[in-house]
Amino acid sequence: MRIFLCEDSLEGIFTGIYDAWAQDPGHGHVRLSLKDQYEPELFAEYEEIEPDDGKSEKVARSIQRKISGEAFRVVCRAAFSARPERADAIYRFLIEGFRYGGRVLRLLQEPAVAEVFALSRKVANEAHQYLEFIRFEQLANGVLFASISPKSRVIMLVAPHFADRFPDENWVIYDDVREEAAIHGAGEDWITAKIPKDQADAFLEAYGSSDHYEDLWKTFFHSIGIRERENPNCQRNFLPVWYRKHMTEFL
Amino acid sequence: MRSGFVELEEKLRILSDAAKYDVACTSSGVDRAGKKGSIGNSMAAGICHSFASDGRCISLLKILLTNHCIYDCKYCLNRRSNDVKRAAFTPDEVCTLTIEFYRRNHIEGLFLSSGVFRSPTYTMEQIYEVVWKLRRVHRFRGYVHVKAIPGADDAVLDEVGLLADRMSVNLELPTADSLRTLAPHKNRDSILKPMSRIRNQIAASRQSMGQTARLERAWGVKGMSNGLFTEDEYQRRLEGEDGFRLEGGGGVFIPGGSGSGIAGGSPVSEPGIGMPEPEPWGAGSRGGTGVLRPPERGLDIRTFAPAGQSTQMIVGATPESDYHMMMVTQALYRQYDLKRVFFSAYIGLNEDAALPAPGSPPPLLREHRLYQADWLLRFYGFRAEELLSEERPNFNVLLDPKCEWAVRHLEYFPVEVMSADYEMLLRVPGIGAKSARRIYNARRFGSLDFPDLKRMGVVLKRAHYFITLGGKQMFPVRLEENRITAGLIDDNRKKNWELSHGECYRQLNLFDDMKLQEAPGAEDFQKAAAGQL
Ligand code: SF4
Repeated sequence: MRIFLCEDSLEGIFTGIYDAWAQDPGHGHVRLSLKDQYEPELFAEYEEIEPDDGKSEKVARSIQRKISGEAFRVVCRAAFSARPERADAIYRFLIEGFRYGGRVLRLLQEPAVAEVFALSRKVANEAHQYLEFIRFEQLANGVLFASISPKSRVIMLVAPHFADRFPDENWVIYDDVREEAAIHGAGEDWITAKIPKDQADAFLEAYGSSDHYEDLWKTFFHSIGIRERENPNCQRNFLPVWYRKHMTEFL
Repeated sequence: MRSGFVELEEKLRILSDAAKYDVACTSSGVDRAGKKGSIGNSMAAGICHSFASDGRCISLLKILLTNHCIYDCKYCLNRRSNDVKRAAFTPDEVCTLTIEFYRRNHIEGLFLSSGVFRSPTYTMEQIYEVVWKLRRVHRFRGYVHVKAIPGADDAVLDEVGLLADRMSVNLELPTADSLRTLAPHKNRDSILKPMSRIRNQIAASRQSMGQTARLERAWGVKGMSNGLFTEDEYQRRLEGEDGFRLEGGGGVFIPGGSGSGIAGGSPVSEPGIGMPEPEPWGAGSRGGTGVLRPPERGLDIRTFAPAGQSTQMIVGATPESDYHMMMVTQALYRQYDLKRVFFSAYIGLNEDAALPAPGSPPPLLREHRLYQADWLLRFYGFRAEELLSEERPNFNVLLDPKCEWAVRHLEYFPVEVMSADYEMLLRVPGIGAKSARRIYNARRFGSLDFPDLKRMGVVLKRAHYFITLGGKQMFPVRLEENRITAGLIDDNRKKNWELSHGECYRQLNLFDDMKLQEAPGAEDFQKAAAGQL
């Protein structure tokens, strides 16, 4: 068994797919794994794949043309998952996709399709929860700053929402697990950047301030609940405790 | 600065506390992209931002403009005769709170209601002032839901509808009698009048934009043979077949029994939702203070209250049955094309001979059953008279309404999953709207097995009694009402127990039911991916 080791990024995975397909078109006799995220196996041959913009772009284009735009989105969401098996799952899904074209998305009875769907749905759900639960604080320099600790790489999915929503604000969404930020300057496009934790902390230290609207928000949050219907289990079910780490009303 | 905050905080505490009994907190129904030079956007599926201690979703800044009130509704904490702390926001204060909370991603927008201060028209003008400033001064493109105050001038109502996303008038109680007993200053007509005004404005503005008169509904719902939302039915009514004219302002939709339905039951007429006497459009003065601005054109082309109209009824303060509640709900959907009807379990706050004693537990399970049944009307093509009847006027405590319907109608089962039509799939307990669609799409490409169904989200524990797959049942069970009921009750029991013991239940499944149209984030993602690659 030949195993291709890709870099953990969209480009890395797509490049791996390109090379795997070139060697073994449509058969699935090779596997993809992610560097640093695999268990070495006996009798396997490993090949490291360097990410290549040209190859990954070609893969992205073929998915959109030969399968569909929706399939492309599903694949990208799956790639943002943190599950180590995602690269291989995407490869197997694409083998079916290139065979069936656009209707592959309806073939939920195919394990390869079901698996990518499951990965994609998990990521989409988590991203959606962050649209809900992200909290910005206003720093002394007027910047809106949010910290999150997501399982998947959700900033790629949530940043466009906030760019659309707050086009004239300066804001930062900081993923403190990946030490990566989505940064948006007023009137500009958003970008992503790797930012080490100590640098983010220093920024918050320098511009941190007390924000009265956070107090007002807590007041509202506490008075809007109906005592006669109190239901902490329900609250916990909808809003798992681990999300609350960065939420104003629970601090 | 600091003292201003203390005062504002006190107002916020009083006026959110006074607003919390209003149920609706959804921000759904409008897709609106952001825009440079403005703040905000809106997503049709709605976004919840937090969950309060009672487990209810917080999506909007839900407040009253003031809790001063000239009326004396018996069930209301703000009634004139109560000795409570009163406060009033200025329109600017409401705008500031909305914008500042919104910027921090606390909320999707504003839900503004109010006690009646001085007069309905005066109060409505203050609400107009808030919404106008939010939209025009602060350039706010987030979600705005406002209450229409019954009795306010049409002119103000009309202007507010051009700025707000959703409007609602609370029906409060299902019958005119109950209303008379508990809300002596209100009457059925004064509530239905703004409701029909809003309906007509929505329909007219939708048609002027080339849309259907009736609101959009979830996938497939408008086409259901038995459903409440078919365009035909409405169009026929609009064209005056039952004496209804859009220009007439008022007008009655005659409740009728078109489509005897899958259950084959005889049609039941809907109870007394009569309409007030029609009144020519434009009647009435422009309101007391002349606060309305001249209309601005070309800012944003949008329809009147694009997220539609909703209402709310109190459950358990008066003796009406579930049957009665559902028939009224159905009439509201059919005749007023409401987007949502909300139910609110009565919480005893005031001492009054006409009301349940303070401290009696709110009827949460009953409220839950009504929501489940409402779901069946809106998404599953059921009619109220299929679920309940005069003889069987209340929902089962042990079984949810869909299971209950199924065990009473075993003649429709078992359903062959590979060939049943979509509407029938929807009627199988354990198959939701999303899984029905997945089955519908997947089965064209080959046969399915039970694990496939499970992957598609079917709850086999319930569904297996009612389905065959390629002619075979999952387990050999005979279709017997008692046996199946026992099995289903067992499955329902945990939930019911949880409910009556204050455990969690979702007020319907957000992920599976509310986002029927699209997986969350898909649209946004397209942009991200495009920028990324
Ligand atoms: S009108 Fe009735 S329900 Fe509304 S605030 Fe006044 S007393 Fe309460």
